[in-house]
Amino acid sequence: MEFKVQLGPQHPALHEPISIRMTLDGEVIRDADLRLGYNHRGIEKLAESRTFIQNLYLTERICGICSFSHQTCYTQGVEKLMELVPAKRGLYIRTLVCELERVHSHLLWLGVAGQEAGFESFFMYTWRDREVVMDILDWISGNRVHYSMNTFGGVRRDIDEMQRKKILDTLGLLKQRTDYYLNLAASEPTFVGRLAGVGKLSRQQAIDLCAVGPTLRASGVPMDVRKDDPYAVYAEIPFEVATADSCDVLGRAVVRVKELIQSYNMIEFLLKNLPEGPFKVKAPRKVKPNEVYSRYEAPRGENVHYIKSNGSDKPERLKVRAPTLANYPATIAMLKNGFIADIPLIFAAIDPCICCAERLVQLEDARGGSSRVLSFSQLRAMANERAKNTDFTKREIAWPF
Amino acid sequence: MSLRIAPFLPELLRSLFNKPVTVKYPFEKEAVPKDFRGTVVFDPAKCIGCNICVNDCPAEAIEIIRVSETEKKFKMLLHNDRCIHCAQCVDSCPTKTYRMDGEFEIAVLDRHQLKIEYK
Repeated sequence: MEFKVQLGPQHPALHEPISIRMTLDGEVIRDADLRLGYNHRGIEKLAESRTFIQNLYLTERICGICSFSHQTCYTQGVEKLMELVPAKRGLYIRTLVCELERVHSHLLWLGVAGQEAGFESFFMYTWRDREVVMDILDWISGNRVHYSMNTFGGVRRDIDEMQRKKILDTLGLLKQRTDYYLNLAASEPTFVGRLAGVGKLSRQQAIDLCAVGPTLRASGVPMDVRKDDPYAVYAEIPFEVATADSCDVLGRAVVRVKELIQSYNMIEFLLKNLPEGPFKVKAPRKVKPNEVYSRYEAPRGENVHYIKSNGSDKPERLKVRAPTLANYPATIAMLKNGFIADIPLIFAAIDPCICCAERLVQLEDARGGSSRVLSFSQLRAMANERAKNTDFTKREIAWPF
Repeated sequence: MSLRIAPFLPELLRSLFNKPVTVKYPFEKEAVPKDFRGTVVFDPAKCIGCNICVNDCPAEAIEIIRVSETEKKFKMLLHNDRCIHCAQCVDSCPTKTYRMDGEFEIAVLDRHQLKIEYK
């Protein structure tokens, strides 16, 4: 017998609000549908009323984990609009922070995967080691989460000799720990048994459904913006695109650990070959009318910003496509014919950042299916109407002890 | 690579005898880094009233107010409850009026107490 179940928008297994409607056959998911829009913040509209410099810090706040990727994507787009060539040393430092962010994001993901797979101690250890890279970011940028390192024409802070040495020293510890995790991920039977074969996504499916990032690379497709369309100084750095052929959650974990090792090598290369000279150049305040499309390989996959300028100091349009949004169609394919118990694991495997991907809210009648457009005052009136019917008797219930 | 039985066990046993890595925060404090972005500090003597900081501040946390009609003297009202600690004002100021200090324990129960006036 088939029956329908709705999971979310608020559910203990999901860290952010998203709703999944599933058609179940016993414990097996036969069909799934995603509903988004519970966390819409109106960032794109807000960006239109702010100057290019103010938007640097707004775009940074699209995401908390990959804050630097959104900011860099935006900065590179605006630099193209300004026809500005950034300072070489600035680009090296920018790439360095990109890779440090990838390290912290992947270590965070490994911990989340461990937790979802029921391997809590793995979660504790990876997050302990993540503190090391968070401290490095804190030293060079002045903040653990929002680094605010970018500016048009380079970066805002230089790296001195002491910081350079300190990062190189700490990198050894991170490398040693990651090697240990790679061995562990491949040899711990409970971990491998839980991840292997879950959330299958074939190579053809991954290409057809336009998956991005480690999800795509774990299906054996070596696609990476850093290699295909190099930005910053990626064309000068030696690195390999990490792939796996197992097409499941285990493959996604292996790709991320391999990328970690690549990132350490890149950080070492960048620090050893840091060129001398200025770290930023002066940028104009106004931008000529034009439009640009900027790509960036965030830890979760390809991040895209579209920016249109109209000759003033404010953008006319900013469109953000976060990598999570591109991975949703693939997630539905992965959920199909899987078990209910695998939902958190499959979701965690795309490293979802749900509020980054919320770009639109559509009001739809849950029963009829018709959609409509409402103004803010109408929405407010609806909320007030609903609040009138609230049952307040619960308020008077006293604490029984 | 072949599967082994409990490869995580040595690490777990070792951790039993290690000191906890968590810093007991309110009792022990770690030093903030050199370039930490704490609270904004303003020097009224250097301000020329160009208002670049007001226009660049992404959080609209800065107000520059002219003190006297005749003299070029300004005071600054910092809305620290809105400040996002990005230090753009430090970068934008042409006369280096701003700097960031290492103060981060600024939480209070009433947001109006977070207003700071530099004059």
